[in-house]
Amino acid sequence: MANILLTTRCNRSCPYCFAEREMAGSDVDSLMSWENLIYIADFLLMSGQRRVSLLGGEPTIHPECVDYILYLLERGFDVTVFTNGMLGKSRREEFRRHLTGISRERLTFVCNLNDPLQTPAPHTERERIEEFLSLMGPWVSPGFNIYRPDFTLDFLFDAINRFGLKRHLRLGITHPIPGKGNGFIRPAEMRQVVERLYSYREIFEATRVSPGLDCGFPMCKFTDEELGWLNRFRGSPHFRCGAAVDITPDMSVYHCFPLSDYQRRSLFEFDSLLEIEEHFRQLRQQIRVEIAGIFEECDGCRQREDDVCSGGGVCQLLNRFVDEAPVRIPEIEHEIAKNRHPL
Amino acid sequence: MKLPKIVIPYNKTLLRSMSGQIVAVRVKSIPQAAEAAAHVRDSGNALFCVIVEANSPLAELALHDGIKDIPLAIMAPAMGKFRRVTAILPVLRGGNIRIYLPCDRPDNITSLRLLSSLGIHCCALFAPGETNWEELADLMTYAVLERAPHAPIEPFEFIASSYEPSSYLDWGRIFFDDPRHFLHLDARGRVALSRREASMGDFIAAGIAEIAAADEFPAISERINSWRYRLAENHPCAFCAGWKICLGRFAPEAGEDGGCAGFFQEMLDVARQRGAQRAGGEELRVWQP
Ligand code: SF4
Ligand code: SF4
Ligand code: SF4
Repeated sequence: MANILLTTRCNRSCPYCFAEREMAGSDVDSLMSWENLIYIADFLLMSGQRRVSLLGGEPTIHPECVDYILYLLERGFDVTVFTNGMLGKSRREEFRRHLTGISRERLTFVCNLNDPLQTPAPHTERERIEEFLSLMGPWVSPGFNIYRPDFTLDFLFDAINRFGLKRHLRLGITHPIPGKGNGFIRPAEMRQVVERLYSYREIFEATRVSPGLDCGFPMCKFTDEELGWLNRFRGSPHFRCGAAVDITPDMSVYHCFPLSDYQRRSLFEFDSLLEIEEHFRQLRQQIRVEIAGIFEECDGCRQREDDVCSGGGVCQLLNRFVDEAPVRIPEIEHEIAKNRHPL
Repeated sequence: MKLPKIVIPYNKTLLRSMSGQIVAVRVKSIPQAAEAAAHVRDSGNALFCVIVEANSPLAELALHDGIKDIPLAIMAPAMGKFRRVTAILPVLRGGNIRIYLPCDRPDNITSLRLLSSLGIHCCALFAPGETNWEELADLMTYAVLERAPHAPIEPFEFIASSYEPSSYLDWGRIFFDDPRHFLHLDARGRVALSRREASMGDFIAAGIAEIAAADEFPAISERINSWRYRLAENHPCAFCAGWKICLGRFAPEAGEDGGCAGFFQEMLDVARQRGAQRAGGEELRVWQP
């Protein structure tokens, strides 16, 4: 899978934002161009890809966001747009005119929703999001970023019912941006997160909403009963690190937001998505030679050997290196050193 | 040599005055195109194509299923908003249509690539003095060598597929600009060697009947052979590596570097690569997505 970043700007500032590093380091006016988009579409098609995600910053800020979506659909891609839902009136009107006729199988929005109590937002922001959900609800899967262990999900079930959203809730845990000291879920908090999630089991079942786990969840923090519960939903859950490749407006490719400084390359250096994936697989492998996973038990863990669980996120491991012993791989050590806190 | 095809403005009287000709008729709008095509067919002449010289962007043209069977060369100043093009994409893909966009604006070079990537046959119009040769070279490389499915972009596709190392190549016919293949008439039936000359009132005959055989008509044969003079004149084009596929079409003044030479040299390389691909039996991909 590939994520195309249409812009590095965002119109919201979530406390847990992983894209922070990419946005901070970028030219504020960095926008994906038509030339680059066509190149990427050709590149992905020739790599056998038929699905693509649009990200940002906030992708709907891009002035030609609607045209880009339509273009990718015309090229035969199924498109997922990751949005915060904060669209202005005119952009909403564009969506209504041009996107509401598209099949929900081919176009999906993952709308990242924040808990109105734990992450309060100004009234105007909430209003905009609600208007977006009222318009595009049937195309929207709600997304939620868990950034504190005492999170609540009730408001999401309300939103699903109220706006007729897709009955699939995408759950991500917030990851560390190595060296940035941002808020994230620490390995020691994972069990609490899982327990909290499982406490919503009955509501998931009653509302027929399926949970979907993003990257970085550790498998061993789920009991057999909890795993059995997850398994009942669409296919088995995965406990991986290494979801998709991100492509920026300036045609850089990197592993994911938290690792945007690590072995970042230009898309033009590669002939296929497979080559890029291999490049980043090697990056993960190099790091995991140093440390197998987020827990000591990861070293020699059967689930890791069987490739069922990655041993948590590489971002967590790199974040540890920032403050702990240096790694031996010069290129990675170089990037880490830049982020190391002065003693 | 057979008599070339005739390019005329849409004019019923003019059409009635001719018969047995192969005609390309110029109109200003899509609704006129259907009407003009019907009149050519009823006039006892054969329709080569309808040339739509539109003033508005492609996205604004009222293309509809009814024009599917008419061969159309649509010359528009720009593509327009993509979201509006999506509404006419089925007609653009399903019809016998080629879209011409002028390359004096960088966004048109991008639009040509975009249309091609969606399976729409198109053509780059470029002229001396107003072309960004580097951007055009990128488009040309995409047109000829890109392996992802896409429709041909002329004149690059024509050049790459017609180029023979042992001979010169004139591709003006792609733009209706080659008197071996096209003569241009004005509304009164006067004959010019090109569209530009017709609009400037520069005629070679008062009527098509004066031209019995094109190669024996002095003005036509002189034009066809005019490139030879550059060689005799020691013009910079005579020493240009791209000459074989350009024939001085963009002729810069002595001492000037218009950028064309680098472009056509690259075009030659690309044409050779394409020839090598063909010779190696490498499979060419179907372009229609
Ligand atoms: S690899 Fe690590 S995180 Fe995954 S199940 Fe094993 S011990 Fe847990
Ligand atoms: S390093 Fe792995 S777990 Fe962390 S954000 Fe990237 S893909 Fe997800
Ligand atoms: S490309 Fe060469 S032959 Fe053609 S106009 Fe330029 S200098 Fe002359």
